[in-house]
Amino acid sequence: MIEVQNLVKKYGEFTALHGISFKAREGEILGFLGPNGAGKTTTMRILTGFMPPTSGVAKVAGHDIFEESLAAREKIGYLPETVPLYPDMTVQGYLEFMAELRHVPERKKRTQEVLQLVGMDHRAKSLIRSISKGMRQRVGLAQSLIHNPPVLILDEPTIGLDPAQVADLRSFIRDLRTQHTVMFSTHILSEAEQICDRVVIINRGQIVAQGAPRELRSKLNLGSRIYVEARGRADQKALANTLSKVQGVKFAEPYQNGVVVNVKDNKDVRPALAAAVLENGLELLELRPVAITLEEIFLEVTTALGAEEDA
Amino acid sequence: MRNIWTVFKRELRQYFVSPIAYLVMFAVLLLIGLNFNTDLQDRANFEPADGTVVLSTFAFLMVFFAPLLTMRLFAEETREGTLELMLTMPIRDHELVIGKFLGAWAFYSIMLLVTLVYQGILLSLTNFDPSPSPLQSELDLGPIIGGYIGIWLFSGATIAIGMFFSAMTENQIIAGFLSMAVLFILWVGDLAGLLPASIVSTRVAEALRVISLQSHYSTSFLEGVIRPEDVYFYAGVMFIMLFVTTRLVESRRWR
Repeated sequence: MIEVQNLVKKYGEFTALHGISFKAREGEILGFLGPNGAGKTTTMRILTGFMPPTSGVAKVAGHDIFEESLAAREKIGYLPETVPLYPDMTVQGYLEFMAELRHVPERKKRTQEVLQLVGMDHRAKSLIRSISKGMRQRVGLAQSLIHNPPVLILDEPTIGLDPAQVADLRSFIRDLRTQHTVMFSTHILSEAEQICDRVVIINRGQIVAQGAPRELRSKLNLGSRIYVEARGRADQKALANTLSKVQGVKFAEPYQNGVVVNVKDNKDVRPALAAAVLENGLELLELRPVAITLEEIFLEVTTALGAEEDA
Repeated sequence: MRNIWTVFKRELRQYFVSPIAYLVMFAVLLLIGLNFNTDLQDRANFEPADGTVVLSTFAFLMVFFAPLLTMRLFAEETREGTLELMLTMPIRDHELVIGKFLGAWAFYSIMLLVTLVYQGILLSLTNFDPSPSPLQSELDLGPIIGGYIGIWLFSGATIAIGMFFSAMTENQIIAGFLSMAVLFILWVGDLAGLLPASIVSTRVAEALRVISLQSHYSTSFLEGVIRPEDVYFYAGVMFIMLFVTTRLVESRRWR
């Protein structure tokens, strides 16, 4: 649904995108991840037809965004980073205006539908200037859904919302997947991990990694981790020492009340760890896998890239 | 066409929900009323009543009030971030520009139509006077009709200029100030001919008169004469400003 090839964008001397390529398949949620200023918004602005790339090709739903701009734009619902609302309009008036611009048939009916979908039907008659930030975000989202587009592009949709609203929005985006291809950007890594089928990590205008969150973990050879907590005569350091001698363990280090064991090549060492604890006359209190977060993947890839550049 | 209509409707409606539009309309009608009253008093029993006083006052006020109403057209959208959304809608840039322009022009047309109330007063004063004095002839309708057409075209040109400056910056105050300055210079341009030839050569003065906004209605439309060159002039100003504004909006994509 979204196809990007070798996209380059230069702002004068500054190169914001150094030829990035990625794809999003139909019905997929693509997380676009990167620190601030990495080029996320630039990429999205190119995909939505707001501005042309310096070079490279971007296609949405089979239409080239530059050659057949209007056809491509019809297929996209877009929520920019600053939610684009007219404060002097009512929620309903705004959505009906957007529906009219999008040539939606049965505007009134569709407006009611999306209002219900985002849970704003009770404030339909309110002026946009009088509703809260979270509600504005939802109205912005309603706007992007009004023409039921096959592709949704959301630029940092969860920014500035309270935790409950963020959770709401995340599950809402997940539900959209059945009918839409969603591409959304974020710099919150756990967010991408929770709701994305695939993640593209971008830094300084370059893609540093892409794949399913699980794939990324194994691709970067981070192995897996296990947290072990035991009670007995030995202290944490001694326990770490013992456990690091177990076969298949890279290293072990004290963490909180126990020890975190780093495992090579995703081997299942849990039985061996349990046996090692018991053999040393300790009581095993806890043994559980620790998920490696995208935070760590992200740090890994971005620092690796930084190191390359410095060298 | 359909998209222009959509944008047009929103723009026009927008004027009726914003307080500044009502304030401008109030101020314009009040000032015209004062001028109209004074003029009527001055002429009483000396000269025939003149309906074009309302129009020349309206034109003069446009120089200052047009920027107040056009400055938000693009500047506000740029600042609020809504322009980004508009430019990713399946509409062409010129449709957006033309729709906005027509919306603003329609608001002015409504304002201009409201001034017809003064013509109604004049008509009733001149036609229903039971003992007409020789000086109190009937109202001359030619200049009034011509004047309304001329001032309508003139206001279209001022709006197009105001909109151009609104598209240039995201700061409404700067947009308003720049268009006010430019409109004022264009409006008084024909006065250059009054300066001694040693300061401004006749050729320069003539050139300034030709591009001045005032000279194209004061000696033609307001006399009841509709000259094609004046119509072309205002239509040309509108066309050029709309074209340049479209380019300016397009250029946001490249910046």
